[in-house]
Amino acid sequence: MKIILVCSAGMSTSMLVDKMKKASEKKVIDAEINAVAESELQNHLDDVDVVLIGPQVRYLEKGIREKVEPLGIKCDIIDQLAYGMMKGDQVLDQAIKLAKYK
Amino acid sequence: MNNKLMQKFIEFAGKIGSQRHLVAIRDGFVAIMPLVIIGSLAILINNFPPFGKFNFVEWMSAIFGDGNWQQVGGSIWNGTFAVLGLLASFTISYNLAKSYNVDRLAASLISSASYIMLVPVTDDFGLNMNWLGTQGLFVGIIIALLTTELFRVFVNTPKLIIKMPEGVPSGVTKSFRALIPTMIILIIVGLFQASLAVLADTSIFEVIFTAIQKPIQGLSNSLPAALVVALLNHILWFFGLHGTNIIGSIIEPIYIPLVEENLSLFQSGISAYDVPNIVTKPFLDSFVFMGGSGTTIALLIAIFIVIRKQKNHPYREVAKVSTPGSLFNINEPVIFGLPIVLNPIMLIPFVLVPVTLTIITYVALYIGLVPRTVALLPWTTPPILSGYLVTGGSWRGIALQLFNLAVAIVIYIPFVLAGVKASKQRMEE
Repeated sequence: MKIILVCSAGMSTSMLVDKMKKASEKKVIDAEINAVAESELQNHLDDVDVVLIGPQVRYLEKGIREKVEPLGIKCDIIDQLAYGMMKGDQVLDQAIKLAKYK
Repeated sequence: MNNKLMQKFIEFAGKIGSQRHLVAIRDGFVAIMPLVIIGSLAILINNFPPFGKFNFVEWMSAIFGDGNWQQVGGSIWNGTFAVLGLLASFTISYNLAKSYNVDRLAASLISSASYIMLVPVTDDFGLNMNWLGTQGLFVGIIIALLTTELFRVFVNTPKLIIKMPEGVPSGVTKSFRALIPTMIILIIVGLFQASLAVLADTSIFEVIFTAIQKPIQGLSNSLPAALVVALLNHILWFFGLHGTNIIGSIIEPIYIPLVEENLSLFQSGISAYDVPNIVTKPFLDSFVFMGGSGTTIALLIAIFIVIRKQKNHPYREVAKVSTPGSLFNINEPVIFGLPIVLNPIMLIPFVLVPVTLTIITYVALYIGLVPRTVALLPWTTPPILSGYLVTGGSWRGIALQLFNLAVAIVIYIPFVLAGVKASKQRMEE
């Protein structure tokens, strides 16, 4: 499964990515997780299953949805508290649930 | 708080934050930032102040000869910060074309060509460097937006596209696709330049700079403007919206030229105390947004001071998670985790701290207690280091940061206490 996290510069979500990677190792889930800046998103959409949006750029949701949903990519805003506490496992669960919802 | 009004505000902020042209401007600046920062550091090294007995500049000059070694940094400056207007015109056009999904390279080349066409030529047929840099920034932005809009319209007009017979390689077709639109745009720009030069004996650069850019910059280099920026940024963050990102497209074109002016004077040997502009991008980044918007690094320290015994208190947990990022001014964890977002207790200090620090910093720089900002750093540069570097290597910069931090901690403490009390009451209920 390929997951991409989007925020403004890809900085704060990259912290969360590390936690999610650890959580996926623990759960033995084969997941490729990356963080990108919103402006770079278009170049990183190959084979992506889920795009998760940082809550601080939730105003970009509409534009991002328009971009990724025609490609069959699931998209959602990261739960605010899970994001704040950097709960990698919870956000990973959120991504998995989204992907299964096909 | 009125919910409907709040929703309207969030929607409005969101629209600005995702408005195509503003996003293109912002991303254009993001793209050139590395070059600009390298140019800024080159100047800082060329003019580095003595470090106790060790004088770097004299030492280098003794080895390589006075002025010789500084040519390296000088030419780096010339190719980066000194041509900011030209660079921005390219990158903004590139990003706007990208958002329209038209040929980005063609669009940004047209933008650059138009820029050069409009720059006044010197008597000995040289380009006037003043207009390639920050003085030409506003024109550069306008050129990028207008030419790219025209390009988008023209390439989507079938009549203007040269059709190739079947079997012609697609690369060839593509190279001809932009030909007629490019020609039309450059002719329009050329006619515009010529009529302005012949009829009014001036250039668009001079007109826009004196009529728009200079007055706006003058206005922005003031305490009220700095307060408006700080206030707006933090109100947006309070609603959980990326404040710096949303207003960045408006802030950067104004506050980067102000630090550029300081920098180029610093380069010519003027002391950091005597450069003209007080409010600049590094002013805000290094002295107000320490640890991220809201000077939240002070909030973390306040939490560690207030909650010492209860090791697993939720506030302490958030503070622990947030500390590594905060050292590099990344503070989303504390903003969303504590949370500060829509938290009425935290609203007051979250806005009050940056406003207070803006005033303190302005006064300290205004009366000359601390040197003004003469370097542009990555916004992720940790506090203390940033205070030293942006003031051109002055201990007073660090002292001001420490003082600001202390003030911020003092403001945050009572609100942390109130927050702890409120959460305890909630637990008991």
